Amino acid sequence: MLRYIFRRLGISVLVLFGAATLVFVLTINSGDPLADLRETSADNRDELIEARIRTMGLDKPWYERYAEWLRGAVGCVVPGMQCDLGVTNQGQDVLALTESAMSATLRLVIGATVLAIIVGVAVGILSAVRKYSGFDYVITFGAFIFFSLPVFWAAVLLKEYGAIRFNDWIADPRMSVTQMIIIALITGLVLQFALGGDPRRRLLTAGAAFAVVLAALAYFDADNWFRDPSMGLGVVILVSAGAGVLVTSLVTGFSERRVLYAALTTVGAGAVITFALQDVLEDGGYALLAGLFVLTVAVSVAIGAAWGGHMRRQAMLVAWVTGVIMSVVVVMDYAVSHWSAMLELKPRPVLTIGALSPNFEGDFWERFLDTGTQLLLPTVLLTLISVASYSRYTRSSMLEVMEQDYIRTARAKGVSERAVITKHAFRNALIPLTTIVAFDFASLISGAVVTEQVFGWRGMGQMFINGLRAVDPMPVMSFVLVTGAAAVLMNLAADIMYGYLDPRIRR
Amino acid sequence: MTFKRRGGAVLAVAAASALVLAACGGDDDEEPTGDSGQAEEDQGSDSDSDSDSDSEASGDVCREDLGDLETQDDTIFYSTGESEWSGYNSDTPSTYSTYNNVINSRMSQSFWYWGTDGSFCEDTDFGTIEVLEEEPLTVQYTINDEVSWSDGTPVTAADFILEWGSESPTMVNADGEPLFDHVSGTDYGEYAPDGPQGDPTGKQFTVTFETTYADWNLLVGKMYPAHVVAEQAGMSIEELSQAILDGDTEAVEPAAEFWNTGWLSPNPGELPDPELVPVTGPYRLKEGGWEGGQYITLEAYDEYWGPAPGTQEIVFRFAAADTHVQALQNGDLNAIEPQATVDTLAQLEGLAPDITTETYPTLIWEHLDFNFMEGSPFADDLALREAFAMCVPRQQIVDSLITPIDPEAVVMNAREVFPFHDEYDEVVEAAYDGRYDQPDLEGAEAKIAESGAETPIDVRIGYSAPNPRRTDEVSLIKASCDEVGFNIIDVGSEDFFQPGGTQESGDYEVALFAWSGSGQIASGQNIYATGQPQNYGEYSNEEVDAEWQTLATSADPEVHLEQTKKIEKLLWDDLFGIPLFAHPGVVGYDSTLQNVRPMSAQDGLVWNEEQWYRAE
Repeated sequence: MLRYIFRRLGISVLVLFGAATLVFVLTINSGDPLADLRETSADNRDELIEARIRTMGLDKPWYERYAEWLRGAVGCVVPGMQCDLGVTNQGQDVLALTESAMSATLRLVIGATVLAIIVGVAVGILSAVRKYSGFDYVITFGAFIFFSLPVFWAAVLLKEYGAIRFNDWIADPRMSVTQMIIIALITGLVLQFALGGDPRRRLLTAGAAFAVVLAALAYFDADNWFRDPSMGLGVVILVSAGAGVLVTSLVTGFSERRVLYAALTTVGAGAVITFALQDVLEDGGYALLAGLFVLTVAVSVAIGAAWGGHMRRQAMLVAWVTGVIMSVVVVMDYAVSHWSAMLELKPRPVLTIGALSPNFEGDFWERFLDTGTQLLLPTVLLTLISVASYSRYTRSSMLEVMEQDYIRTARAKGVSERAVITKHAFRNALIPLTTIVAFDFASLISGAVVTEQVFGWRGMGQMFINGLRAVDPMPVMSFVLVTGAAAVLMNLAADIMYGYLDPRIRR
Repeated sequence: MTFKRRGGAVLAVAAASALVLAACGGDDDEEPTGDSGQAEEDQGSDSDSDSDSDSEASGDVCREDLGDLETQDDTIFYSTGESEWSGYNSDTPSTYSTYNNVINSRMSQSFWYWGTDGSFCEDTDFGTIEVLEEEPLTVQYTINDEVSWSDGTPVTAADFILEWGSESPTMVNADGEPLFDHVSGTDYGEYAPDGPQGDPTGKQFTVTFETTYADWNLLVGKMYPAHVVAEQAGMSIEELSQAILDGDTEAVEPAAEFWNTGWLSPNPGELPDPELVPVTGPYRLKEGGWEGGQYITLEAYDEYWGPAPGTQEIVFRFAAADTHVQALQNGDLNAIEPQATVDTLAQLEGLAPDITTETYPTLIWEHLDFNFMEGSPFADDLALREAFAMCVPRQQIVDSLITPIDPEAVVMNAREVFPFHDEYDEVVEAAYDGRYDQPDLEGAEAKIAESGAETPIDVRIGYSAPNPRRTDEVSLIKASCDEVGFNIIDVGSEDFFQPGGTQESGDYEVALFAWSGSGQIASGQNIYATGQPQNYGEYSNEEVDAEWQTLATSADPEVHLEQTKKIEKLLWDDLFGIPLFAHPGVVGYDSTLQNVRPMSAQDGLVWNEEQWYRAE
C-alpha cells in the first residue's frame, strides 16, 4: 500500500510540474504585460515601464523566470528552503495574497464538499433503494433542476429568500397557524416518501411527523425560540444518543449489544467532558475546538476498542462517528445559545455580500456565528450543485451493485435488508463516487469563482482571473499550485479510500 | 463605453483615466468615474450664477451649509465596486483610480471641491482664493488659521509647495527623469514656474501663472503632509520647502522617494502607520478597519478643525456592482449608484418607501462624430453631413431609450454645456436654430442631391460593443436614414476604440460614443482642435482652433461663455458631429438618510457623505 501511494505521489508531482510549466508558458505568452503602461499618458511612462520590467523580471528569458518561481515554489514544500511565490506586477507578495485567497476559498469549498457528500450519498442511496418510487422521481427531478441551475441566478434567489426575507422575518419571528401546518405537512410528506413501507406505515410516519413538527413549531413560536433559541446539555445528550443508536443500527444492528454500548458510553463520556469544560467552552477559540475534536476522536476510539471484543473494528467505527456527531452537536449548542446576543449586535444577521460583518465586535461564539451566517448562503449554493451530481452517481452505482450476484446470494442466505445495503452494497457503491469527489474538489475551487463574486468573497478564482487579465504569471501560478496540490491530495485521499473500501486493492 | 476628457493640464484633478482608450471597453468603469448630476430639483434654482462653471458656482450645486452636525454613533455602508483601496497617495500611477479617489476624498478638505454639476465650489471653511492681478494672473491663497492635519500640525504653505514640487519640471534627477511619480505630469510647474511664494510655515502663499490658463484654479489644492515627508527624509519643513523652490533635486530626492513609495498600500488589509497618514478631512483611516478584499473603514475624530460630520463611521465595501441592489435592500449598503437601466430602476422603485430612488442626468453625453479622415464620404462634404444630421431621429432616440429611465430627459443641443446648466439655454440660442430637432427626410434627400453623392451611401457606424442601447440607437438611425439614400451599417465591435481597432484604422464613417464631462473649461480643446489627441475623427477647422485658443488662455468667465457660444455655433454649422443626450443616472438610498444628493464628478454619491446622517 505504501509503495503504491508513493508511486502515485511521484507521478502526481511530475504531472504537476508539467502542468505548471505549460501554464507558465501559456500565461506569459497570452498578451502584453505592459499593455496598460504603453497607453498611459503619464510623463514618467518609461520609468514606470522600467520599474514593471524590473518587478516582473521581464528582461530575463522565460526559463530563468520560471526557474526562479520553481525554486521559490519548491521551497514551500521542502523544509529548510524559503517559500517564495514571487510578486505581482504591482509588487504585492503573492504568498500573502494566496494565503488569504486560499483560506476564503477553502472555507467555502470544504464545507460545501463535506455537506454535499453527506447529503448526496444519503439521498442517492435512498433513491436507489426506493427506485422508481415517487421519492425517487422527486429526487431525480430535483437533481436535474439543481444541476442545471445558473449559479448567478440561484444566488440572487438565495439572497432574496435566505438573506433579505429571512432578516425581515427574524426581526419579529411570528408564524401563522397556516404556515405551521404547511411546514408540518411538507415534512410529513417528505418523510413518508423517504421511509417508505406499506400505505399504513406511510400514513403513520406522515401523521407522526406532522404532529411532532406542528407541536415543535407551536412551541418555538410561543417561546420566541427563533430569536432566543436554547438546547442545553439535556437536548445535546438526547440528540447524540439518538445519533449513536442510528449509527449502530446502520453499521451492525442491535444484535450485538456491545457496539451499542460503545456508542452510548461515548455519548456519556462526551457529556461529562462537555460539562466539565463548560467555562472553557464558553470562552471558545478555534485552537481549543480543534484540540477537543482530536481528543474526542481519540477517546471514542479507545472506548470502542475497550467495548469491542470480537466486534472491535465496528465498535471503534461506531464510537468515533458518534463522537464526531456529538462534538458537532455541542458546538451547535454553544453557537445557538449566543444567537440572541448576536442578533443584538447585528439585527440583520445574514448579509448578502462579504465574508464577515465589517468591524464586528463580539466574543468568540458571536464572531463564530457571524462568519457562520456569512458562510451559509454561498455554501448552500455550492452544495446544491454538487449534491445533484453526487446523488445521481451514488444512485446509479448503488443500483448497479444491487444487481450483483453476491447481493442475491446474501439475500438468499437470509441476511437482513439493512445488512445487505450497509454492509455489502453501500461500500462497493462508494468506490466510483470516491473518484468523482476527488476530481470534483479541484474543479470546485476554480468553479467557486462565480459564487465568490456574487457574494463578495475574495478567493482563488478572483486571483487567477485578475492575474490572467494582467498577463501577470505569479498569481496564476500560485492558483495552479494550490488547485494542483488540492487535486493531488484529494486523489491521494481517494487512493487510500479505495484501499479501505476494497481490501483487494491493498494487496 | 465612455471616454474621459483630458485637459491638457490637470489630468489628475479631472480624474481622467490614464487609459483613455481602454476606458471605452468599460463596463462598470462607467458609473463611478463619469456621471454627475444636478442638485435636487426641489431645492429650487434661485441661483444668481450667470457664470460659466469656472467661477464659484451657485449654492445649490455645492455643499449646503449645515454648520456643525451632531455626530451620530452610526455607520454608513457604501461601495465603489470591487477594487481594493490601494493607498493614501492617490496620485501615483499604481494608486490613481476613481475608486481610490472616492475613498481618499472623504479624508481630505482643500480650497475647493466639485459641485454636483461639475462646477468649481470654493470651500471657505478651509481658506480663500483671491485673484490679486489679472496679467500675469497672480492668486493669493489663504488657509484659515484653525485648519490643521489630524495629527495637530497646522496646514501651511509648505504643503502646497510640496504639491507644486511634485508636479514641477524642475524636479528631475541627473538622468532627466522626474523625481515624483505624479500622474498629472508637470503642467502645474510649467504654468507657474516660480511655485507658491510665502513663508512655508505660514498660512498664506501666492501663485503667479506665467501663462493664463482657463482651468488654473484646478491646479492648486491636492496636497499631502509636508511635515511627514520632511521627517521621513530627515529634513525640516523649511529645508524641504527651500530645496523644492530652489530646484535642489539632490536634497529633494529622499523626500520624493518617500512620496512615491511610502504611501502605497499594496498588501490588502495592512494599514499604513497612522503617524504617516494625517488627514485634513473629517474622516481618517480607522485602525483595524481594513479587511483585505472585504471593506475599509473611515472614522470621524474629535480633533477635526471643521464642521463635525453627521455620522461616526463610513465603511466602503469591496463588492461587485451587480450585487449592489440586493445589498441595499438588505441594508448591507445604504446608498448605491447602480447602472442606469430600466430594470434596475424598476427594481429600486419596487423597494419604496424604505428606499428612495432618484434619477438625474449625468455629465456623460452621447454623440455621433463624423470621420474626417481621408476616404470618408463625409470628410469634405458639408451637404452630406447635413443630410445625415437631418435624417437622424434624435427625439425618437431619446423618447424610446432614455425617457423610460429619466422622464425629464431632453435631446442635447450643445457639447460644452449640459441641459441642466444655467447657461445652456443661452448657449443653444446663440449656436443652434433647431434645424435638426426632428428628422427632415425630404430635406435630407435634397441635400444628398446637392452633394452629388451616389446613393446608396454606405455609412458604417462604429461603437464599442456589446452595448445594447447603442445597437438600438443604430437601428433607429438605420430605419430613418436608409429611406433617404444612406445605407447604415452597424460596425460596433469590442475593439472599436482599442489600439489598432476599427476607429484607429479609420474604417468607419460615424463613431457613436460618449464623452464624460469633467468640469474643466478648456478640456474640449483636446477634442475639437486640429491635431489634438482626442480629436479621433481628425477634424480640422482653423476658426475653431483660434476660438479655442482664446478660450483656453483666458481666466475670465465672461470670455469663456462668449467663446463657448462661438465654438458651439461653428461646430453646429460645420457639423463636427451630432450631440444626442446626456446619459441618465440612478441612485438609490436608505430613506432615513438625510442630505443624500445625486452627483459624481468623481467623488461619487458620497461626495457630501460628511453631511449624511440617519433621521430617527
